[in-house]
Amino acid sequence: MEAGIAFLLVVGLPLLGAPLIYLIGRLVERKKPSLNPARWVALLVFLSAFYPLGIALQAVINQDGPVSFSLGLIRLQLDGIGALLATLVLALGVLVVLFSGPYLGKEEHQEKFYALLSAMIGGMIGLGCTTDLFNLWVWFELMAIASYPLVAFHRQSAAALEAGVKYLVQSAIGSAFVLIGIALVFGQSGTLTLSGIRANAPLTPVMLAAGALFLIGFGVKAALVPLHTWLPDAHSQAPSGISAMLSGVVIEAGLIALLRALGALFAVSELWGVFLLGFAALNMLLGNLMALRQTQVKRLLAFSSLSHMGYIVLGIGCAFAFGAPNAAEGGFFHILTHGLMKGLAFLAAGALLYALYIANGKHQPLMVEDLDGAATRYPLAAFTFSVALLGLGGIPPLAGFMSKWQIFVGGFETHQPWAIVLVIFAALNSVLSLAYYAPLINRMYRHQPSRQIEIGQPVSVWMNVALLILTLGVVVLGFWPSLAGWLTQPAAQSLLTALGG
Amino acid sequence: MTLSVPNIVILIVIGLLGTGIYALLTVRNLIKVVVALQIMVKAAMLALVLAGRLQGQENLGQSLALTVIVADTIVAVVGLALAVQVRRVVGSLDLNALTTLRR
Repeated sequence: MEAGIAFLLVVGLPLLGAPLIYLIGRLVERKKPSLNPARWVALLVFLSAFYPLGIALQAVINQDGPVSFSLGLIRLQLDGIGALLATLVLALGVLVVLFSGPYLGKEEHQEKFYALLSAMIGGMIGLGCTTDLFNLWVWFELMAIASYPLVAFHRQSAAALEAGVKYLVQSAIGSAFVLIGIALVFGQSGTLTLSGIRANAPLTPVMLAAGALFLIGFGVKAALVPLHTWLPDAHSQAPSGISAMLSGVVIEAGLIALLRALGALFAVSELWGVFLLGFAALNMLLGNLMALRQTQVKRLLAFSSLSHMGYIVLGIGCAFAFGAPNAAEGGFFHILTHGLMKGLAFLAAGALLYALYIANGKHQPLMVEDLDGAATRYPLAAFTFSVALLGLGGIPPLAGFMSKWQIFVGGFETHQPWAIVLVIFAALNSVLSLAYYAPLINRMYRHQPSRQIEIGQPVSVWMNVALLILTLGVVVLGFWPSLAGWLTQPAAQSLLTALGG
Repeated sequence: MTLSVPNIVILIVIGLLGTGIYALLTVRNLIKVVVALQIMVKAAMLALVLAGRLQGQENLGQSLALTVIVADTIVAVVGLALAVQVRRVVGSLDLNALTTLRR
């Protein structure tokens, strides 16, 4: 198969799969509701996208020239950043489908869940590969629109609806700002091609305003503090599989959209880099402080996502400000490991939530106290959850330590006093984060089982399979971080090429 | 600032944007919030058309605006669908009734 065609298939399969999943699910479910076909079609679609993805990735890594295809004026090109995002999104998507089958159980309208998930995945893959500012917005909207109904999927719950409304309103304001920014850029430069904007437009105040609008607009989706207020609600109220996708890849996709847009407007410059570094500091501090006082497990994990966005933005911000290649690579490596770790954490918390409440027919949040003694009845879920938490806290030899370490090394290598202060601040934050990760593990292993644990239902086999695969990923990347080099190095290179570094 | 066509359009864009933001800050009814979002995006559409006109690429600017209409309508539909469901479950469209999730 030619690389260009393979790439077309990678983008096209989830997009074409979305209506297919819906139709098959709808038609078969009417006759035999027990079959649950939408889930298997979704699994088939995502798994079949891996073969063309492999071919396209090989071409990117071997640098056989650009892997791209064009539809009229629209041109998509797979570079390092797009390859990293596509791989992570598809891998997490498969595991979320495996997990969500038993999690949704006898819930109605499952075909909509899988169809929207498929559309969201297609949107994110396209977002990573676009070469045009306006198309970036279109893919971004596709991803966002597919995720609104998914957040409010439990539509009988007032809390889920509230989270959905907040998420929709804030994201829609953000995307209106982005559109105005696009209009400003288009009016100044007359082109929308990402690689052509900088050559056509000098650095006027109008371009600076456009940059600020992009920072606000995409920053809402990337949950840069203080634009984050939708995140804890949406991530804690969504079905657990969707929480894993939102925290693991959607906010990172928002950040990648921001990088693409800002990188097209400005070369390596301290101005925008310092902005990003400021957001990094705010995210780390506020995420950690808010997580400390949470009593709901999924809400706590959502706030921890904020602080991890801080680490990622720290790495990428160093690349923006000083053109540091190692910091950029560390940032992309942390996108990868955070996707795996936070995906694992949300899925493990979801498995416990399912066993304790949902399987008993109750929809209520999983509290921290409910975890007491979970290891006695759910040894596997407790173990995988602990691995995820320790990894997020940055305990060696798990993946989270390696990626944070690389960001810190990259920050030190800039030899800028402020960057070094920020790196030390990040390291202290990482220690602070253990103050809310460790008690959870302590509860699971050292407390007497709570009443909820005693009346809980068993966790399904498919859930355990998904948890084990992710645990394996977190541990393997911790011992051999160089295994991810083939994904992170091209991504860092693409970013610096876009910045003209 | 002379009263030429582009300048008038710029003023309209700023006016629409200001109306939308002001409405978002003051209005508490969910359907009105969706309308306010629509007003903001209309400002952006007008700006895209104007940008195309200023650059002598009217076709491109207008086709961008058409694409925005499509995407924006879907957002409005999803927003209104959420509003219907909120009315059914909570019994009110007032945003103040939707404040169970704190901090």
